[in-house]
Amino acid sequence: MDEFYTKLAEILEVDEVREDSQLESFPAWDSLGVLAAIAMIDSSYGVNLTSTELTGVKTVGEFARLVESRRKA
Amino acid sequence: MPDSSCYTLITGAASGIGRATAIRLSATRKLVLHDRDGQGLKETRRLCASPEGHQLWEFDLLEIDKLSQALAAFLVEKSLFVDSLVHCAGIVTILPVKAVTYRNVQEIMTVNFTSAVEIVSMLLKRKPNGGNLRNIVFISSIWSKFGARGHTLYSASKGALDAFMKGLAVELAPTVRVNSLVLGAVKTRMAEQALADPEIAARYRRDYLLGLGQPDYVADAVEFLLSDRARWITGQQIVVDGGRTVDMSLK
Repeated sequence: MDEFYTKLAEILEVDEVREDSQLESFPAWDSLGVLAAIAMIDSSYGVNLTSTELTGVKTVGEFARLVESRRKA
Repeated sequence: MPDSSCYTLITGAASGIGRATAIRLSATRKLVLHDRDGQGLKETRRLCASPEGHQLWEFDLLEIDKLSQALAAFLVEKSLFVDSLVHCAGIVTILPVKAVTYRNVQEIMTVNFTSAVEIVSMLLKRKPNGGNLRNIVFISSIWSKFGARGHTLYSASKGALDAFMKGLAVELAPTVRVNSLVLGAVKTRMAEQALADPEIAARYRRDYLLGLGQPDYVADAVEFLLSDRARWITGQQIVVDGGRTVDMSLK
């Protein structure tokens, strides 16, 4: 999921993100940032998530695992 | 006996503004109801006055290279002419511009703008429409005239539609009148997602002087523009937005 971390960092406007990074700690994680992330995982991984499904996701790692689990499902 | 009298074509008629417009116009006109959603189309027809008098045309506007041919074939098969077009079909893409891909651009421009070009172009052809086109109304949006975060593509697509409208009005006068309705937020399934956010809903209540729009209000305006009462109006972006864009009060 290194590629996912790179793409998420781009959306969050930082050089890199770590597994334990809190999504809420990034100023770019606003409503548009969430939409950008949803579009990214759709086009890159074919995973459809709604913003509601993301509300419980706190860290970058949790986000990555959610995407990973949906890819397998 | 082929029915050769004229119809009004409504795109995006399976829901929202398209459906409300169809129901309103069905009392006085014969309609071709278009959408990609066949189930929704049938439901719209059921809600219309004299349902059996209207035709359904199920087609996905994203299949843009087949659109022209499909519409021509439909008109020939049903032996009908179209004298009025109401283009309600539209999609919204909300994305920060740096996340925009060519696919996003292509999709929204195809549905909101290019499909209108293809449909108008086909309806102007003597074969199969017999030079019957007289009236065009495009459903546009206040985002055509103003900006909003995340709405660059939506604004661009509606801006293109409005600019196309003005060119058409000049090119097709005096035979065809062409106008667009520049709408504020209307309570439809498309707007539901935004309205589900309590913060946005509260802001809407504050910003819309006359309250949020209902699809019916739009149907009223469409009915007027298609009628002879609007006989001296062409090439206009008619703003129907409950006062959303006129209010310059300090907040």
